[in-house]
Amino acid sequence: ERNISLANATTVELSCKLDPNFHLRNPQVTWKRGNETISHTTKAENSWSIKLVIVDSSKMGSYSCIVKGDEEIRATFYLHVPKIEAREKPIITYEKDTAVMVCKSDSTPMTWTWYMMRGNNPVIINESLWTDKYLISRLSANVTRLRILKLTKEDAGVYWCEAVFQLGESERKMELKVLSIMAPLKPFIAIVAEVIILVTTIILYEVYSKRKGK
Amino acid sequence: MQAEDSNPPDGGYGWVVVVSAFMVMGLTVAVLKTFGLFFVEIQQHFDGLASTTSWITSVTIAIFHLGAPVASSLCARYTHRAVVITGGLLAFSGMALGFFGFNMVWMYVTTGFLQGLGISFSWTPAISIVSHYFSKKRALANAIASAGECAFAFTFGPFFQWLISQYGWKGALLIIGGIQLNICIGGALMRPLASSCLLEAHHSETRTPPGKSASRIDKEDKSPITHKTFNWMLLKRPEFVLYAIFGILAAMSFFVPPLFLVPFSYSLGIDESWTASLLSILAMVDFAGRLLCGWYANLHVTKTIHLLVMTITLISTSLMLLPLANNYVSLAIFTGFYGFFFGTTVAIHITVLADVVGMPEFDSALGLFMLIRSSGGFVGPPLAGLIVDMAGDYRAGFYMAGATLILSAGFLVTLDQLQQRKERESQTSTKPEKSTLSYPSLHLLKH
Repeated sequence: ERNISLANATTVELSCKLDPNFHLRNPQVTWKRGNETISHTTKAENSWSIKLVIVDSSKMGSYSCIVKGDEEIRATFYLHVPKIEAREKPIITYEKDTAVMVCKSDSTPMTWTWYMMRGNNPVIINESLWTDKYLISRLSANVTRLRILKLTKEDAGVYWCEAVFQLGESERKMELKVLSIMAPLKPFIAIVAEVIILVTTIILYEVYSKRKGK
Repeated sequence: MQAEDSNPPDGGYGWVVVVSAFMVMGLTVAVLKTFGLFFVEIQQHFDGLASTTSWITSVTIAIFHLGAPVASSLCARYTHRAVVITGGLLAFSGMALGFFGFNMVWMYVTTGFLQGLGISFSWTPAISIVSHYFSKKRALANAIASAGECAFAFTFGPFFQWLISQYGWKGALLIIGGIQLNICIGGALMRPLASSCLLEAHHSETRTPPGKSASRIDKEDKSPITHKTFNWMLLKRPEFVLYAIFGILAAMSFFVPPLFLVPFSYSLGIDESWTASLLSILAMVDFAGRLLCGWYANLHVTKTIHLLVMTITLISTSLMLLPLANNYVSLAIFTGFYGFFFGTTVAIHITVLADVVGMPEFDSALGLFMLIRSSGGFVGPPLAGLIVDMAGDYRAGFYMAGATLILSAGFLVTLDQLQQRKERESQTSTKPEKSTLSYPSLHLLKH
C-alpha cells in the first residue's frame, strides 16, 4: 500500500513490478480503480504501468494492480490531497485571553478558510465582519493562523481550517476549551494556604520550644 | 580541626534537615528538568522559533549557576533558612507571574530569570546545610537529599502533562508556582546550627585564641572578609583549582547524554512511548544509584575521592559502550548503567568538595564551584552538537561525553596524589594545621 499526496494538476505514472524469483508462468496483471478496469499504458519485462492525467478531484482515489497467479496479490496506491497538520490535543485557554490556532500543509493551497461550529451549523469566519475578534494571517504559503481575541465561554467548541487545492479540499478540526480563571485559582489558593499554615506552625513551634528551653 | 562546626549533630534534627533538603531539591531541579513539557505549548502560543523558546530554559540555567555564589555568601550573612525561603518566594513568583504570559520577553523574565534565581537561592543553601549538619554520615545524608531530584522528576513528568491537559499551560504554571511555594516549608525547617558562620564572624573579632597555631589566627582575621565577598582566595589553593577543573570537564559531559538519548533512540527506530520509558528508567536507576552510593560511602571503607574516580570511570565506560546499542533492550541496559553511575557520581561529588576545602570555607567554595562549573555546562552541549553534526551520528556525542569524563578523572587522580603528598608531609610535623586533614586522617587509620 502506498499513499501519494497531490496538490496541483499533474501526470502520474504508477507501476507494479514483480519480483523475478516469484512467478515463472505467465502472470495476468490488471489495473483497477474500484470495479472499473484500466488498460495499461506500458508493459516492460516484469512491470506493468499506467499513466494518469489528473486535472481535478474526480480522478483521485485508490488504484490497485492485481496479479492473478496461484493466489491473487494486490497492491494499492492511494491518491489524495495533502493532509493538514494541526494541533491534535484540545487547546485550553482562559476568558479574556487570546487563542491561537495554526494549520500547516505540505504544499501551497490556493486558499485557506476557517470555520467554526455554531449550534449544528458550520459558519465561515469572516474577519472583516469581526475585526476586533478574529484575526486570520497567512504566516507563509503553507501556514495559516487564526487568532481569537477576548475569549468568552461561548467561543468554546470545534474550529477547523480548510485548504483548497486544485485537486480538492482538505481540512483539519481542532477543539477550543475556554476555562474561567477560577479553575486553576482554586487549587492555587488551596496550596498557598497550606504553605502559610505549615510555615506559621513550624515557626511558632520553634519559638515555643526555645522559650521552654530557657 | 572542626571547631567551627564543633559538634555537627550527625543525626537527630539533621535528618529533618535532610528531608527538607530532599523536598527543596525536588521542587527546584525536578521542575527545571520537566519544564521541557511546556516548550511546545509556549512556542505555539507565541508563534516563536524553537531556538527563541529554548532561551527560556537557557536563562533559567544561566541564572541558576550565576546565582549560586551569591546565594552562598548570603547564606553566611543571613542564615541558610532565610535564603531558602527567599528562593522559594522567588521561584513561586516566577511561575505564578508566568501565568499572565503577555509575551515572550515576559516569559524570559518570569519563568527564566525569577525562576532561575529562586531555584539558585533554594538549592545552594539546601545542599550546603546538609553538609554542615553531618560529618561522619555526610555522604549518606547528601546522597539521600540529592535523591529528591530523581524522585520528584519521576512523578512530575506525568503530573505536569496532566496539569497541562486540565488547565492549559498558563494554569499549569500558576499551580506549579504554588507547589514551589512549599520550598519555604523546607526552608523553615532548616534551623541554623549554633556553630554557624554567622556566630564565627562575631567571635573572631573578640576572642584571642590562647596557644593555637599561627594559621588559626590568620584564618580568623580573614573570616569576616571571606564571608562578605566571593572567596577568590580559594583559587590560590591547588586542590580547589584541580577540583574546579574536574568540575568543568564533568559538567561538559553531564548535560550531553540526556540531550542526545531521545534523538538517538528515535534514530534506532524506537517509538515515542518506549523512548519515554527510557527516561523513566534513567530516573529510577539514578535514584537507586544515589542512595546506594551514599550508603556505601557512609561505610567509610573507601576514601570518597577514590570512590568518585571509580564512579566517573564507570560512567565513561557506560557512555563508550552505549553507542553499541542497536535495539531497545540493549539501549535500555546501557542507559540503566549510565543512569546508575550518574546517580552515584552526583551523590558523592558534593561530599568530595567538602573534603577538599573543609567545612569553614565550604559555603563559599560551593558557590564558586557552581559558578566555575557552569562554564562547562554552557560549552558542553553546543560542542557536542557540533561534533554530532560533523560526524553525522549521535553516537559521536556519547563518545565525546565519555572522553571528557576520562579526562576529568585524570584531574581527580592528580588531586588525590597531591592530597596524599601533603598528608605525608604533615604527618611528619606534630600538629595538623589544616581542617581538611582530620577527615582523611580518619581514613588513613582505617587502612
